Amino acid sequence: MAKVLVIADIKRGEVKRSTAELLAKARSIGAETAAVAIGNNLEALIPSLVSGGSDSQYIADDPGLELFSAGPYATCVVDAASQFGADQIWFASTENSKAVAPKVAARLGVACATDITDVAYTGDNIEITRPAIANKVIQRVKINSEKLVAVVRAGAFKMTDESTAGSENVIRLSAPPTDLGAVVKELIADASGEIDLGDAAIVVSVGRGVKDQKGIDLVKGLADDLGAGFGTSRAMVDSGLMEHNKQVGQTGKIVAPKLYISVGISGAIQHLSGMTGSQVILAVNNDPEAPIFNVADYGIVGDLFEVVPILRQQIKSIQR
Amino acid sequence: MKILTTVKKVVDVELTIRVESAAIVEEGLQYVMNAWDENAVEASVQLKENNGAETTLVSIGGDDDNTQIIRRGFAMGIDNGIQIDDPLLAGADSFVLARVLQKVYEKGSYDLVITGKQAQDTDNGQTGIILAENLEIPCVSNVVAIDVIDDELLKVTRLGDGGKEIVELKLPAVVTVSDSINEPRLPQMRGLMMAKKKKIEVMDLAALGTSFEEVGGSDNRSEILEFSRSQAREAGKKYEGDAAEITAQVVGLLVNEAKVL
Repeated sequence: MAKVLVIADIKRGEVKRSTAELLAKARSIGAETAAVAIGNNLEALIPSLVSGGSDSQYIADDPGLELFSAGPYATCVVDAASQFGADQIWFASTENSKAVAPKVAARLGVACATDITDVAYTGDNIEITRPAIANKVIQRVKINSEKLVAVVRAGAFKMTDESTAGSENVIRLSAPPTDLGAVVKELIADASGEIDLGDAAIVVSVGRGVKDQKGIDLVKGLADDLGAGFGTSRAMVDSGLMEHNKQVGQTGKIVAPKLYISVGISGAIQHLSGMTGSQVILAVNNDPEAPIFNVADYGIVGDLFEVVPILRQQIKSIQR
Repeated sequence: MKILTTVKKVVDVELTIRVESAAIVEEGLQYVMNAWDENAVEASVQLKENNGAETTLVSIGGDDDNTQIIRRGFAMGIDNGIQIDDPLLAGADSFVLARVLQKVYEKGSYDLVITGKQAQDTDNGQTGIILAENLEIPCVSNVVAIDVIDDELLKVTRLGDGGKEIVELKLPAVVTVSDSINEPRLPQMRGLMMAKKKKIEVMDLAALGTSFEEVGGSDNRSEILEFSRSQAREAGKKYEGDAAEITAQVVGLLVNEAKVL
């Protein structure tokens, strides 16, 4: 039986849903599962790793792991993978995963595949599927090494109803040495209390069409009404109107919510490749020729300053 | 400070990509410098202008597109160019490319390697990180600012999942840059003219002092079996007209047809 080690995706003291999605996928291919959690003060998270579907839990819990540092994190993953005897090591797609996964693969001398949307065994060989060239093509890739390190694209592995809990078997990992070559001095944390784009069932994104802060506030109001994650396009980040961590797109966050509402975004390919995995897309734009309409299930051609207030009103009335 | 900037030739992603018989159709494709590597070139040239760094650009691939990419680097202000031209490297994976770059690095005693965070064609984002791991030197990825403290230390800002991380980075080191780090300059006409005259150092693996076996060329850890076209989303329905009317109509559809509200 194949053994799959899933790296717990922990943000603000919580295990993200993606961790359970990866564990469920591992179980669905008949694998024995383990999770590794890396950070500080993790004790309270162990039950969610068990209920998420892991059969053993490797815990690297140390004050020195409070701030992310790719080197020490990779050391913990390699340690857990060796103790568990992992055949596959899966990360949910985050910026930190992308920094750690290639290190782990290099240290273990095995293949590394990022942004994968599927993985399967054909005989003894592992094969993965992943998009490339800004989502324009899909690659089917044969893994030549016996083991694989993979970063899984957001929303690729859906939870199934049969997802079952695992069992508790906690193994403590020793704290890794700090990386003296790259010392993290400070974290300037993003504003807390916001809905994580990767977790949100609905994402509302705002583009250059809003023109200024007043326009942003208007669309943010729509996001708040819906309890939605609030995203943006590259142009808004470059102009300094929105923060980097809100960027949806090829280099920003890749999202796949149930509903994606795009407001005042024309739809550059860089942006589209970050959101076309969404289940349903609604676009609002005053230019009927905007490329965003080519991927939108529903398009409203109109002035967003007119449309958004009506949209908020309509949504409020159905919420009642 | 000596900087090695690694750049990759990629297919122009703005153009239509056709797939036939499980392969990408070459005809009609155009190649450009990977956009994130342009950010790496810009960051390198800024370190040259502001801190007197010496800059060398390396690109793996022997064709004319690669030569043009190196010349573009010259025109942006890069001092030296190296082109690794060896037909054996066609189809090399990230691990093999990282070994080749390691040889280039070791030949030149560099202090800093700068590269784009990922390539637009594969979106792998691995080569720079693996290079650092092989060299056993520190690496910071997704960097949005580089400040020089002294000859041996940089202060870099990384965009991580929790926010901006301020990292003290000891040289030698590898930095992979985000597209948010800068706005790459457009080469000026004068720069382009001068770039044509500049000499590019062209080397194959033997000239680099290595071999196909040594860089692990015969054991690619992964190989692409086939390409297929992405399931393109189909354009849905566009509503134009009275804002109140069409908005109400669309909200109704989101509730009753799409069932997402």
